[in-house]
Amino acid sequence: MISKSIVDALRSIVGDAWFLDSPEDLATYAYDGFLPEFKPDAVIVPGSTEEISQIMKLANREMFYVTPRGAGTNICGGSVAKKGGVIMAFHRLSKILEIDTQNICAVVQPGVVNADLQQAVAPYGLMYPPDPASMFVSTIGGNVALNAGGPRGVKYGVTRDYLLGLEVVLPMGDVIRTGGKVLKSVSGYDLTRLMCGSEGTLGIITEITVRLVPLPPAKATLQAIFADLDDAAKAVSAIIGSGVVPTTLELIDRVVLDVIGNYGGAKFRKDAEALLLIEVDGEASLVETQGKKIETFCKERGAVEVERAGTLEEAEKLWEARRTAFGAVASLRPNCIVEDATVPVKRLPEIIRKIVELAGKYQLRIGVLAHAGDGNLHPLIMTDLRDKEEMARVDKALEEMYEAAMAMGGTLSGEHGIGIAKNRFLDMEFNRSAIEIMRGIKKVFDPNGILNPGSFLSIYDNNE
Amino acid sequence: MELNQIAEEFDQCIKCGLCLATCPVCKELLLEKYTPRGKIQLARYYSRGDLPLSDQYRDIFAKCLLCGACTVTCPSGVDLKKVFLGMREEIVGKKGLHPMMEEVVRSVITNRNIADEDNTERAEWREPLKDLPEHLYEKDRAEVAYFIGCVASFFPMVQKIPQNLVQIMDAAEVDFAVLGGEEWCCGFPLIGAGVPGKMEELIAHNLEKVKALGAKRVVFTCPSCQQTWKECYNTDLELLHATQLIEKLVQDGAISFKEMHAKVTYHDPCDLGRHGGVFEAPRQILRAIPGLEIVELENNRAKSVCCGGGGNVEMADADLSGTVAQKKIEEIERTGADTVITSCQQCVRTIKSRARRQKRNIHVMDITDLVVQAMSGGKKH
Repeated sequence: MISKSIVDALRSIVGDAWFLDSPEDLATYAYDGFLPEFKPDAVIVPGSTEEISQIMKLANREMFYVTPRGAGTNICGGSVAKKGGVIMAFHRLSKILEIDTQNICAVVQPGVVNADLQQAVAPYGLMYPPDPASMFVSTIGGNVALNAGGPRGVKYGVTRDYLLGLEVVLPMGDVIRTGGKVLKSVSGYDLTRLMCGSEGTLGIITEITVRLVPLPPAKATLQAIFADLDDAAKAVSAIIGSGVVPTTLELIDRVVLDVIGNYGGAKFRKDAEALLLIEVDGEASLVETQGKKIETFCKERGAVEVERAGTLEEAEKLWEARRTAFGAVASLRPNCIVEDATVPVKRLPEIIRKIVELAGKYQLRIGVLAHAGDGNLHPLIMTDLRDKEEMARVDKALEEMYEAAMAMGGTLSGEHGIGIAKNRFLDMEFNRSAIEIMRGIKKVFDPNGILNPGSFLSIYDNNE
Repeated sequence: MELNQIAEEFDQCIKCGLCLATCPVCKELLLEKYTPRGKIQLARYYSRGDLPLSDQYRDIFAKCLLCGACTVTCPSGVDLKKVFLGMREEIVGKKGLHPMMEEVVRSVITNRNIADEDNTERAEWREPLKDLPEHLYEKDRAEVAYFIGCVASFFPMVQKIPQNLVQIMDAAEVDFAVLGGEEWCCGFPLIGAGVPGKMEELIAHNLEKVKALGAKRVVFTCPSCQQTWKECYNTDLELLHATQLIEKLVQDGAISFKEMHAKVTYHDPCDLGRHGGVFEAPRQILRAIPGLEIVELENNRAKSVCCGGGGNVEMADADLSGTVAQKKIEEIERTGADTVITSCQQCVRTIKSRARRQKRNIHVMDITDLVVQAMSGGKKH
């Protein structure tokens, strides 16, 4: 709990209207998109970098925890008050400060919603490529903190690749600026990228300069159905290996296709064991050739049906199944764990076989979705957190899946983050020295362990 | 509604937050408690006994347009509107009526209308009409009953709507009647006020009066009345919105249009579109008018954004209703259309009032206004 004098001090920084501690407010800032909830002691909604700096100075003086929260859509527990304290929300810092068409970049406040930025730059013929599934809700600040990816990642990369500069309030309250509008900068350590993906443990991002790219003039959308999951996975690595760079390359397996059908979505042919959704974008002529090339590729590798959208509406229709997938699966059982272990794309067929094997071995219902083009899997584990016995099996399956992914040169998390979802597995990916380096970095930034405590490094750091 | 019934709904919520993208209220009020996801959380807390129904609960649940945009967006298929209505009912049960809704509830129960007027005044919309038939449309028998609804009956700004529809039906020689002072409020405002239990008498009365006409179908200009009949009246009567009737009249050649040169956009009312599933009928009517240029709003059909007039929010928080309407006006202006057409008197009122107050130069019309203007031939008898 925070004391009356702290409450008064916080109120005087942001004004009464933006300090919240009613039971209704605490209940509604207790969650993000991940499963466990933690009730904060208060919620604060600052209106400027200066106010944030004052709050952090106060937090260090009075030793209370602060956890930043964007739109609360992350699925790793990155923005919940795991040890209590104050949730900092960015509703008031949601302005697009500048769209610079000459330098093709934009400067935004952290609370700007990803899709709003996309919409604002489109009239200039520009695009901000990172497109997480949460893009209509999630904020750029949160996207940077989590280094959000998205389906377009195959061709365009992730948030990190579009980050030019930041303004950051450090946990002790000092304000720093990193990078800027320059595309090249090799001065000093790359603090911009260090902040990106730090899950709100190193600083509070208060201003972001992002790189934009020209909006591609044309796009082709294809759907290929395979009667064999392995063939589909092999087609993916073959396409990527062929030199064609699709914008997106999504895979949906039989389990998920069935769920979509039962949910009232699209129904697929009986022999469909996997579906690939493929998009290419760029100049119209190039899109045409690449589209044909992909079509041939899929057919040669066992696709039983390839469909190509002729219009935007048809493309949207092809996307519908993919968009319905998560919700349809999530509504089947009380809980759905969305995994995101990621492997080099060549190993995709192997890891998918492994997941199917684990589902059988531990008698779990697991559907496979994947941003297949970049080896980023999203196995959907349909389960019930209240069922201890089943959860023990889930845990074993996860552990084996991560071990397999690591052995293939993969990573625990492609785009969702570690948070409290995977912190217990961190030493599978990093050796002791690497973890010590991370702990050291955290201590330099946040000696008192004030910012977002209990997050991914906590099991190694009892001082937090 | 039983609490465990709504619990089935919110147990499905996975807290993904996608509903925040389409909720017009949380875009204005920002804080999580005002988001659909936040409200679901509060419903869950209440049902588990973790939080009592405070005054803030009442305030939060009153700040919802019941527009259903969140329900459409929810990937887990949660019927959020059902939860929010259930919570309003629960709150009234524990804490009594929302103070801003006491008056309308009292008026509906005692006067049988929302306007706090004697119900015989219901027919006042007829007064400006010339060439009224002798029966004043209150015939003893008719094939179609026209259920006008309180707003269009009593609010001068939108009394044109029934005036229009009777002219259209006359021209097409539809055998119809109105109930006059025997039309009672359909009960819709009671649902939003959290007292659906008080609708029974209204339902029984309206059904009896319509049946006495020997009518086979009921036509509505108010999408909310139509939706209320569909959901609560448990009747085999065919329930048509005016746009559905007019579409048919156009198809059958019973009415025809002369050329009109204007650029218009169309706003889908929540109760007609998202809830009633009627998207094409009004568009077919617009397409049938030669020369009319139609541009769609950015968010159209099931994605249409509420005008701000839903959910009794106008009563509970007029400012909120106004700022939502403001966004609607801005969306309309971005289309470059001269005129926005809609098919609901409440949308007309909400958008028009805000535009006037803000001195915005947009022209708001009910689709029946446009139809009357475009009709050639006029009355046949």
